Amino acid sequence: MKRIKPVIRKEFSHILRDPKSLIIIFVMPILMIFIYGYAISFDLDNIKLGVLDYSKSDISREFIKSFLQNKYFKFVEVKEDEKTPDLFEKKLKRGDISEVMIIPHDFSDKIKEMKSTEVGFIIDGSDSNSANIIYQYNEMITFNFIKRFQDLDNILKIHTKVYFNPEVKSAFFFIPGLVAVLLLMVSALLTSLSISRERESGSIDLIFISPIKSHEIILGKTLAYIFVALMVETLIIVFSRYWFGMPVRGDILTLLAFSLLYIFTGLSLGVLISISAPDQKTAMLITLLVTMLPSIMLSGFIFPLSSLSPVLRGFSNIVPATYFLKIIRGVILKGASVTDFIRDGAILLFMSIILTIISVRKFSKNRDRGT
Amino acid sequence: MRLLYLIKKEFIEILRQRELVFVMIVAPVIQVILLGYLVTTDIKNIPVNIVNLSSDKATVRIMNRIINSPLFDVKNIFIHNIDSLEVLKRGDVKAIILFRDNFDKKKSFKNYPETQILLDGVDSNSSQIAAGYVNGIIRNFIIDDINRYGLSPLIRGKPLIRFNPRLRSINYMGPGIVALLLSIIALFITSLSLVREKEQQTIDTLLMSRLKPIEIYIGKAVPMGIVGLIDMVIGVFVVVLWFDIPVRGSFFYLFLSSLIYLTAILSYGLLISVFSSSQQQSLFFSWFSLVTFILLSGLFTPVENIPKGMRWLVDINPLRYLIKIIREIFLKGNGIEYFYRDLLALLAITLVISSISIFNFKRFISK
Amino acid sequence: MADNIIEIRDLTKKFGNFIAVNSISFDIKKGEILGFLGPNGAGKTTTIKMITGLLKISSGSIKINSLDAEKHRDATRMDIGYMSQKFSLYPKLTALENIEFFAGISGLTRKGISEKYTEIKKYVPENLLKQNIEKLPPGIKQRVALFAALLSDPEILLLDEPTSGVDPEVRRNFWQEIYSLKKEGKTILVTTHNLDEVEYADKIVILHRGNIIVEGEPEGLLAGSGKDSIEELFKEAVKENEEN
Repeated sequence: MKRIKPVIRKEFSHILRDPKSLIIIFVMPILMIFIYGYAISFDLDNIKLGVLDYSKSDISREFIKSFLQNKYFKFVEVKEDEKTPDLFEKKLKRGDISEVMIIPHDFSDKIKEMKSTEVGFIIDGSDSNSANIIYQYNEMITFNFIKRFQDLDNILKIHTKVYFNPEVKSAFFFIPGLVAVLLLMVSALLTSLSISRERESGSIDLIFISPIKSHEIILGKTLAYIFVALMVETLIIVFSRYWFGMPVRGDILTLLAFSLLYIFTGLSLGVLISISAPDQKTAMLITLLVTMLPSIMLSGFIFPLSSLSPVLRGFSNIVPATYFLKIIRGVILKGASVTDFIRDGAILLFMSIILTIISVRKFSKNRDRGT
Repeated sequence: MRLLYLIKKEFIEILRQRELVFVMIVAPVIQVILLGYLVTTDIKNIPVNIVNLSSDKATVRIMNRIINSPLFDVKNIFIHNIDSLEVLKRGDVKAIILFRDNFDKKKSFKNYPETQILLDGVDSNSSQIAAGYVNGIIRNFIIDDINRYGLSPLIRGKPLIRFNPRLRSINYMGPGIVALLLSIIALFITSLSLVREKEQQTIDTLLMSRLKPIEIYIGKAVPMGIVGLIDMVIGVFVVVLWFDIPVRGSFFYLFLSSLIYLTAILSYGLLISVFSSSQQQSLFFSWFSLVTFILLSGLFTPVENIPKGMRWLVDINPLRYLIKIIREIFLKGNGIEYFYRDLLALLAITLVISSISIFNFKRFISK
Repeated sequence: MADNIIEIRDLTKKFGNFIAVNSISFDIKKGEILGFLGPNGAGKTTTIKMITGLLKISSGSIKINSLDAEKHRDATRMDIGYMSQKFSLYPKLTALENIEFFAGISGLTRKGISEKYTEIKKYVPENLLKQNIEKLPPGIKQRVALFAALLSDPEILLLDEPTSGVDPEVRRNFWQEIYSLKKEGKTILVTTHNLDEVEYADKIVILHRGNIIVEGEPEGLLAGSGKDSIEELFKEAVKENEEN
């Protein structure tokens, strides 16, 4: 253990004497949180709606009003004449409106006679998810409107209660996710450059011939960066809390404890890449590829894991971000406690141990061969 | 004439690096297919728990509809109440659907259970869709059921889904992936090209030659432009054939807009190349830019609702325009009259980026 | 002074606060071999790059064939052939492809290029010429790089550390080559940190920390100082320069 200390100290002075990397390490995550925190959102308000009202009756106007009272829809006003359908067709194609509602001329009469009538909804289906949500809104608002004439209220009783995010805003869904993506990238990047740097400068030979054990070097390198990565994380969380007003409902210490495991996983991944890559350039490319892409695409960061195909869902089980994402969303947004995530924490720990063992073995092998 | 030698050299260099050839020809095929599966964003298999406290027979039939629906993956069915909050905290299920007897015996001719949907609102998008699905299933059940008693709701919505009637998300994502692919390959390879010459010191010879800066610039950009267009063709073919996505519009405008976009990305790559002193640096900058371009492009998440202060980031993002245009061409079969504004915006951005890039390139050369 | 092909006056290069080359002046005569000596970081490459025009001059002047190099860069560049430290060849191209490229961008015609092909075959075996540069031994790379620098038939040849990393025999052959180029009337500036190579030069300039500390003909310098070798002379001069 005594020999680990100098390794840690050396790595530290490396970090501190390289202001360029320091800036990249601390400023870049903040910048990314700032941009993406604002920019990534699923929220679908202001669905632009065009209306073709052939009934022009009080009831049809009431019906349209019930849509506009809903905050999701925004009415697109046009001068009505015989060209209006063509105009809407154009607007739909151009993407200026997402939906056209067509009310038939006998709409009001039929309702007065208590006969069924149909209202047409032409929906731009290109974005299937948005189209789906628009369709649901249509159904819901229409059904609510009928209640004025028909006593269906007692038949269909559905209450919806939304926990944790009552306003159903997607920003708070993405910010903790960003923390997970960035944290893995930064920690892996930190260590992945360290050994290939030594290889390029040739200092690795001196380490090879020194009496230090392979696992001591690997651990030393990993430990030195835990502190840096934790600082980065705290910075990101404080920034998200006070800039974006992200609610932090859970226990910060719980979060830090799990973060340590996650950072450890990231750092060990970096060390392994570092040992395997021939130079810094390759190390960096591999790190970015294996941390960013899976963390964004395969962890549930943007799209729920349940919508992935079974094979890809299998892959998501080996992506560390999958587990941490669940933990950080749970702790920050839902106020979950340690006991909720023992399994996920254990998997992260297991991953980092495996990665470290492979790294040590590989490093010893390289050492024997002197490369 | 001198320019031709430079272009020939660039081509040989590209083709001799086996990993580059892989990146350019094989990777696009794999990438398009893999990404195609990855970004299939249809919300389905939503993990839910059902709690049934109702004694109604109708409840069992509603539950069966939910269980048999591909939209839900029912994890557990309880017949006693559970601590919903705790279950949702753990995050194993996204929603809990709870059925109760409807004790409101007021004059209704038939009773249906009262339903409560408890949602994990963290993933607002999926939870909204989940709630909608439950609503829809129950509503349809009841409407079917009351129809038998000669009763039907007064107004029924008759939806007509345009452009993507089966609501396949791949139809929407596929064209975007081709744009993505184009960006990745073009940006990485160009951003490295000049830096490599710096590291080999061959840049000195280039600069000492009679080649004008603009000739060197073109010589670097043209081969990559050609490679990019080839990749574009490969990407379009793979996406169309493998995922069976319709192309309703004109190939001409598809390639025209791609070519303009490609010019923007190549200029940007060369700009990164001018400012980077090592391949590592240029890799990092390309990566960072690419992630920003992608996340702000509307590829994954809609960009319409981005707050005003951040709006300009979207408006100057060339990828956003390309994605919008090629989606319109693929899905809606739009002609130029529909997207000429986006095309002009893309062209303007391309001109600005290229001018900045050429200006800095010249300055770098006459340093 | 019509036979001075290069005249350098008070040439200075600053990078921020760091003075890489500090007001140096020297001439090179037509047909002369100038040995440009000094330890790593003395300012040799910086000076050469200013002569080629790859680096801007902070102050002072360079005249090539009596033309100001800053003002008439396009004209003076025609007269200069340059070979940089790492040989500056494209590793993924074959030797012949490198030659084709460099000849092509110097404006040679197809016919001119095929003549150059025949010429290089005199120096390098044909099977080697068809291999990628990265696979060739340093000696061959050096030969190809020198050939490439001469493609446009320049009057002046600037060679930056051409002999670093090659074995002594290759180095001897290389100097013979330089001699025959001198006989053809070329003016050659060679930088090196190998002090034993100065015996080949007509005149030497020793640079230390951006200053010229020794300048003159090798024999004359030795005779004048009473030292046995250039190495001792160099050590003495460095010591003096450091004390100042």
